[in-house]
Amino acid sequence: MTASRNRHFTIWTTLTLLIMAVFVVFLLYPLVLVLYKSVVSPTSGGFSLEYFRKFFGQKYYWGTLLNSFQVTICATLLSVLLGLPIAYFTRSTKIFGRGPLEIAIIISYLSPPFIGAYAWIQLLGRQGVITKIINAVFHVKFNGIYGFAGILLVFTLQSFPLIYIYISGALKNLDNSLNEAAESLGCTGIKRVVKIIMPLIMPTILASALLVFMRVFADFGTPMLIGEGYKTIPVLIYNQFISEVGSDDGFAAALSVIVIVVTTLIFLFQKLISSRNAYSMSALKPMQPQPAKGLKNILIHLFVYLVVILAILPQVVVIYTSFLKNNGGQVFTGGYSLQSYEAIFKEGQSSAIWNTYLFGLGAIVIIIVLGIFISYLTVRKKNVITNILDTVTMFPYIIPGSVLGISFLFAFSNPPFLLGGTAIIMIISFAIRRMPYTIRSSTAILGQISPSVEEAAVSLGCTEMQAFLKVTVPMMLPGVLSGAIMSWITAISELSSSIILYGNNTQTLTVAIYTAVVRGNFGNAAAYSTILTVTSILSLILFFKLSGSKEVSV
Amino acid sequence: MSVSINIDNVVKKYGNDTIINGLSLKIQPGEFFTLLGPSGCGKTTLLRMIIGFNSIEGGEIKIDDKVVNNIPANKRNMGMVFQNYAIFPHMSVADNVAFGLRNRKVAGEAIKKEVDEILKTVKIDHLKDRMPARLSGGQQQRVALARAIVIHPEVLLMDEPLSNLDAKLRVEMRNAIKSIQNKIGITTVYVTHDQEEALAISDRIAVMNGGVIQQIGKPKEIYQRPANIFVSTFIGLSNILDASVKTKDCAVGSKKVVFQNEGYGVRMDNLSDSVQDGQKVKVSVRPEEFEINTNGEGIAATVESSVFLGLSTHYFMELSDGKKAEVIQYSGDAEILPNGTKVSLAVKPSRINVFEYEGERTLIEGVKRS
Repeated sequence: MTASRNRHFTIWTTLTLLIMAVFVVFLLYPLVLVLYKSVVSPTSGGFSLEYFRKFFGQKYYWGTLLNSFQVTICATLLSVLLGLPIAYFTRSTKIFGRGPLEIAIIISYLSPPFIGAYAWIQLLGRQGVITKIINAVFHVKFNGIYGFAGILLVFTLQSFPLIYIYISGALKNLDNSLNEAAESLGCTGIKRVVKIIMPLIMPTILASALLVFMRVFADFGTPMLIGEGYKTIPVLIYNQFISEVGSDDGFAAALSVIVIVVTTLIFLFQKLISSRNAYSMSALKPMQPQPAKGLKNILIHLFVYLVVILAILPQVVVIYTSFLKNNGGQVFTGGYSLQSYEAIFKEGQSSAIWNTYLFGLGAIVIIIVLGIFISYLTVRKKNVITNILDTVTMFPYIIPGSVLGISFLFAFSNPPFLLGGTAIIMIISFAIRRMPYTIRSSTAILGQISPSVEEAAVSLGCTEMQAFLKVTVPMMLPGVLSGAIMSWITAISELSSSIILYGNNTQTLTVAIYTAVVRGNFGNAAAYSTILTVTSILSLILFFKLSGSKEVSV
Repeated sequence: MSVSINIDNVVKKYGNDTIINGLSLKIQPGEFFTLLGPSGCGKTTLLRMIIGFNSIEGGEIKIDDKVVNNIPANKRNMGMVFQNYAIFPHMSVADNVAFGLRNRKVAGEAIKKEVDEILKTVKIDHLKDRMPARLSGGQQQRVALARAIVIHPEVLLMDEPLSNLDAKLRVEMRNAIKSIQNKIGITTVYVTHDQEEALAISDRIAVMNGGVIQQIGKPKEIYQRPANIFVSTFIGLSNILDASVKTKDCAVGSKKVVFQNEGYGVRMDNLSDSVQDGQKVKVSVRPEEFEINTNGEGIAATVESSVFLGLSTHYFMELSDGKKAEVIQYSGDAEILPNGTKVSLAVKPSRINVFEYEGERTLIEGVKRS
């Protein structure tokens, strides 16, 4: 008995150590390397804060950090200001066409922000459709929304869906009797929202705002495309690292360290605040949407529809332009055709599509296997190492993609790990970056499965490992798979680390879209984007079918 | 000072489903009135119509003489205690209780005084600054009650307030609620599915089933003189036996109820005049009203099993017609009858109830449905 227990003990311990090793090699080691490179003098090879001095010494550099803060804080606030009311309205008021609206919101969230940027350039850029109309009608010389305004527009419309999804979920857990109690005590309308509902969902508001902050702060594609002179720090990192004239690894590493410090501080700050105000809630009777009357009803509908239409507009524009007849992808010549699709499917151009699916699937397999074990170990086999594992696996939440990309190149461009430009490095970066989604939803479902189910299996003659594989894993699967689909959708729309890690043969869809946009080949970009969007939508449908719900948890 | 509630022919519909169809009810000022019934009987629906969370599709609800149908819930001046208490988790006990007063723009000093006073009344003044997460179920219950009555509502409404408490606390809290209600003399409507709780706490009870009021009366009336078989079996235990009535060969006004398949019968003086000779009826007998005889007088029965509960002993018996019956005897010094013992069960004519065989309505004279 004791012997067999010891054997199981080693199985789980071995697994813990193995997984830990994976994260040490593919996450901690590259990050330590970044830290190391940022403090090593390029000339003497000794310790030096030269790079940091360089950064804080010139406004050209530290200005980008200010820009990043400015645009991130504004976009986060605006996202809350849009997402919160829309979530509240759809939970409390009968909205016509709520289902399709919700799907539109989710789709606009799942598409990569830089596609929004490039679509808005087509609408409101220098040569944009709307710009031309404005200039013709008002006889002005509006030059398009580039810079701060453009970035803010794209980020806000792309980020409020996340706030919406989170808050909508929190409102579902708010028991309606709290609303009724407030009402019977004379508190209704906006006053009730401010005094009762807002404080109760504040942890959710903060958590979702944090996620928006991280996404926006780390996003590279949007400011790159629509920012023009307005440089943010991810753009600076990319330029320093990739620059064709004298790239500066050490400086890029120092920038990465600064970014990680910022995101870590924000993360800790949010943890601190929301742990202080967390209430466990579960609703017996959630709020029921009630029909609104008259002007109020009209205004609510106008607001919700306007925002959602603006949010989904980039997708519509992209899909529409993908079917336009064009001149080598550059100029749309009027009329419709499948030219753009023909262009991307001929002469090996289509490899980006297959690469995306291949890398995505490879990453998902790793994510599912590791995700199941990690959530099981951290929930059921609590000890010091699994606690550390729990923390380490959540690191990718606060590491921007470009930083992860750079750290991978530092770590794996030399023997013994010569992986630069290979498919393996792409798959691993996808897996590491997007695993938290799967771990979180696996952990959540495991929390609902009673350990006694496994004990029952053991009492009926299973070994502990058999009980885990035959009983626990099948019970976990719905949660694991719905998380895995989220990991998949976010992996295939990943740009900021792929753009750094890809090689000639490992282009992905997002990289192909990005390069097509940069080259001005909007036809091809639109066709690639449409394929990405359709894939995301199909995956989303699969997600709804698997999870059996109409709600997305992210 | 207290108000009456007059519910006149109200109708509640959800879409095309009619939940309550023309229900009327009058609650006296200061009364502790209970709506009692199985789940889905419409009692909570009716309560929520009174406070204004449910719309009223027909009829009127009046507080004294004022129709409140179109007054929103926050203007009706009613306090409500919710099944899950609905304590605001982000506010301390004192803030929860003060919440309604603040909404009424009561001055700060007055709020403090009122809150202190009411917390003393419900005996949780020492928990004033606690957050709700650190309160026990009974304490949360007291906060919910204090919060509802501190605003001096005209009506207090309680929706199964004790159903989330354990048995012992339930008894303690129902006594507390009753005594607080007595003290402040507020008209109270209480919803429960627990008949024992209803009997213990109420001045009057309305027994509901399927959206219809079955009987309204004082607890004792409802228990001892149920208006129909539903009330008889829902409130306490009842054995329902088949019987028939004989009016021939009886003194004037007196009738004999003869039990099926038996020669045994009892004379009754309180049956309604409409009863015909030979009419089939149902008779309900409370388990504790059976008298176990060994002299052959009564309905023949066999002991199948027994349960000793200290104060009383429960027997499960089979009657001669194959029906099962439950009999409760005060334990006392008596020996427990072994299984298989043949006994006779006698009944006291004044303690049994006789119902129409088909309509299941009472045939006892003078029993009011409301």
